[in-house]
Amino acid sequence: MSGRAIVITSGKGGVGKTTTAANIGLGLAKHGRKVALVDADIGLRNLDIIMGLENRIVYHLVDVIRGRCQVRQALVKDKRFPQLSMLPASQIDQKESVTPEQMKDVTAQLKEDFDFVLIDCPAGIEQGFRNAVAGADEAIVVTTPDVSPVRDADRVIGLLQNSLGDPQLIINRIAMDMVKRGDMLNQQDVLDILAVRLLGLVPDDEEVVIAGNRGAPVILNEHSRSGKAYDRIARRILGEDVPIPELNGHGGLMHRLGKMLFRR
Amino acid sequence: MSWDTIVQRFFGAKGSKDEAKGRLQIVLAYDRLGLSAEQMEALRKDILEAISRHISIDVDRVKVDFQHHQNPAEVVINAPVRRTRRPAEEPKPSEAKQSVG
Repeated sequence: MSGRAIVITSGKGGVGKTTTAANIGLGLAKHGRKVALVDADIGLRNLDIIMGLENRIVYHLVDVIRGRCQVRQALVKDKRFPQLSMLPASQIDQKESVTPEQMKDVTAQLKEDFDFVLIDCPAGIEQGFRNAVAGADEAIVVTTPDVSPVRDADRVIGLLQNSLGDPQLIINRIAMDMVKRGDMLNQQDVLDILAVRLLGLVPDDEEVVIAGNRGAPVILNEHSRSGKAYDRIARRILGEDVPIPELNGHGGLMHRLGKMLFRR
Repeated sequence: MSWDTIVQRFFGAKGSKDEAKGRLQIVLAYDRLGLSAEQMEALRKDILEAISRHISIDVDRVKVDFQHHQNPAEVVINAPVRRTRRPAEEPKPSEAKQSVG
């Protein structure tokens, strides 16, 4: 088997890379694919806690690279979806303790056993970024519709175009009420600026925070708007032609009550 | 939204996203060129010198902008002309917009 290795990156920190990686990973696994999620953020591991797998780690990425264990021994299997495994980052090592060549090697090993290898990239464009990108075949760039993440996304897109070609874009945390009153860049504005292919839109959703608290990514909540958005993204990655819907604001309580009463 | 903003909006103030888009387009134009502030300043000076050899311009009010939203990107130089061709007349400042591909 030779799987697809996809790096999830952003430049700017805090825009939802890890959340995106976790949800897409689960989404692909739900659709029956074998998925390995790799946390490449050495020194600041977070994928484990977002996935709710933090108590089951025995070995980590740097152990594999140092030859202290086999890749298979370091993989933590997700009990909710046995076809999904996570390779955790080391929390005590430095990003510089790994080279791009070594990352390439680990990714190549994983590609033999999995349909998808999703690499959660650290923020920034230094060594950690170069490591995460080294073994990838494709890239997904995550941004939010704010000025600094969009600027950093542009920088990262430029760097990726030199190595992996055009990445695809996910615009995260879109607040529709703000877009509607002209106080937030809309999807077309962001695409005008960044000029890349759109993979999906994810609405701003409190459920993501709750999911993080519980260690149960939001895609497991089938009623959540963001969970549905991640499921559509996973299906697009699988080649399904899923249209990108216009996001609607959920409105406030009064708005929803009004809707129920008057069936507007 | 603060009350101030709500009141301003009521009287027709526009949302802030156009400002965000405009500022991003300018900053990314520079980012993508990979020119530093000093290099930009050197380019501006050279352009001004070249124009000044032929027409008198108001150097302090000259603007050099990169516009990336059209393809290919354009360098737009906005140089207010100080004097028209007839130096006998009272000098009237007028805006001359010049586009260099």
